[in-house]
Amino acid sequence: MSLDPSPMFELPDELAIDTGIARRVTTAFIRAQLDQAGFDRAVVGLSGGIDSALVAFLVAEAIGPERLLCVLMPYRSSSPASREDAEQVVRRLGCPSELVEITPIVDGYFGHDGMPGAGGQPALEASPLRRGNAMARTRMLVLYDRSAAWHGLVVGTGNKTEMLIGYTTLFGDSACAFNPIGDLYKSQVRQLAALVGVPEAIIRKAPSADLWPGQTDEAEAGFSYPQLDRLLYWMVDKRRSDEELVAMGFEPALVDRVGRMVATSEFKRQVPPIAKLGPRTPGVDYLYPRRRPGSARR
Amino acid sequence: MQTLRIALAQLAPQLGLLDANFTRHHELLAEARAAGAGLVVFPELSLTGYHLQDLAAEVAMTVDDPRVLALAAETAGCSVVVSFVEESADHRLFIAAALLEDGGVRHVHRKLYLPTYGLFDERRFFAAGDALRAVPSRLGFDVGLAICEDFWHLHVPALLALDGAQVIINVASSPGRDVAAVSAGGLGTAASWRTLLRTYAQLTTSVVVFCNRVGVDESVSFWGGSMVLGPTGDVIVEGPLYDEALVVADVPLADIRRERVGLPLLRDERPELLARELGRIVAERAGLAEDGTGLPAVDG
Repeated sequence: MSLDPSPMFELPDELAIDTGIARRVTTAFIRAQLDQAGFDRAVVGLSGGIDSALVAFLVAEAIGPERLLCVLMPYRSSSPASREDAEQVVRRLGCPSELVEITPIVDGYFGHDGMPGAGGQPALEASPLRRGNAMARTRMLVLYDRSAAWHGLVVGTGNKTEMLIGYTTLFGDSACAFNPIGDLYKSQVRQLAALVGVPEAIIRKAPSADLWPGQTDEAEAGFSYPQLDRLLYWMVDKRRSDEELVAMGFEPALVDRVGRMVATSEFKRQVPPIAKLGPRTPGVDYLYPRRRPGSARR
Repeated sequence: MQTLRIALAQLAPQLGLLDANFTRHHELLAEARAAGAGLVVFPELSLTGYHLQDLAAEVAMTVDDPRVLALAAETAGCSVVVSFVEESADHRLFIAAALLEDGGVRHVHRKLYLPTYGLFDERRFFAAGDALRAVPSRLGFDVGLAICEDFWHLHVPALLALDGAQVIINVASSPGRDVAAVSAGGLGTAASWRTLLRTYAQLTTSVVVFCNRVGVDESVSFWGGSMVLGPTGDVIVEGPLYDEALVVADVPLADIRRERVGLPLLRDERPELLARELGRIVAERAGLAEDGTGLPAVDG
């Protein structure tokens, strides 16, 4: 039980979901995706944040903790508190886990302390954005290697809010075999996390990409998740025009900015286009369910 | 009083695996018959799975396919509704529901309305049916068949009732969505279906049977919640959400007569009025008659 009587998070009314149904759908989805792919194990990269913690809890509930491998992949600048939170998830679930420090891999490319890495002299000057993307893609590399070794599928941990505004790294944190929480806004992730038993400290803390000490998503973006989730819900799910959104009380500057973030990140949500040349082209006019007869499924 | 026992096979078909699905149908049919069911209903595309895309042509069957006939052969003294991709002689592919009775194929309904919006893409892969008929059944009255989206068009249950159906059956592969806490039962899709099924049962004063699948195809999870409603709109039985189940209901058939005598909506229907006004609307839409609809009002 919590000693803190305040609500764990702010929940806008329109974003309230039936968490019992969401729990059933997502756990059955996880089982079905693994079954259909012919796997009975899964791999989740645990950051210490709420999204990956929720996915780990859901996977453990769906297939049993002994079939879930959690991988902790800190960089040298990652917060020790994040690692402690991730370790707490592992302890609570009683699942196998591995720790893979990604510092030598990332620094091996960018260099460190003035010593060039594989990226040469210019990479020493790489921006925080480039470094953050490289960290996300390094974690993807580790997860997919563990996927092969552990015979488990990589489960995605991106939420709907970050996917819609493009706050993800292409082929990095967004890379996965399937994603059970990608249609839940951050506010809804929090609701479901509270139901399935994610530790309260993880639900309460400010979300962070943890790329440098003290970083938080909300400080970086300049708006709060409840505010952003509400706006995206009305803009995307309920198809309200910019004029209607402003009439509802959303700040015009916010509507404009978020609208542009959604539009400019469209490419991150789609499979890259293939130049149409032949009679039948995958994804264009060659369309099969991915788990068709003859695939590896059971 | 005569009672009809209805069994709804709320199953999760395996996508594209005909053999496995036929086996499951034989098993569930035997189980339902052993439980005394006189009418057994399977969901939309129960024999093939829903999210077929280009697999549709690969799993398509003609109505006289030996596997369909073998299933029909097990329906002596029983009525069974199954659903599959039907290929016509001219190689159109339909989403079809077949009424199997007394060892044969009594009727085939081809899905009339193919949703091609939102998460649906049916018109890309399938042809739409052109006929809607109530059919006499061994049960002693006419039954009407409809498939999922057909029920999102008001006149489908209305026409089936006008044509004589007393039991109207909808087989569905309805994907659950809108998991909002504000919805009754927590699922927007389920709340919508409950409302329209109840409305149809009341307005057609008929027994309404709804069999929806469960399971997961790609992104979507089908929600089940199969139902039988009496002619007053009361829910006689409701299946579980998301789980496989053989849902059994006992329907007192005298309720249909009682309701139709007490609430003679069908007696008072005006099909000639409907036909006349529809004829006018069709002519106006085709540009064959002047259409006053939607013109701006002109002052003075």
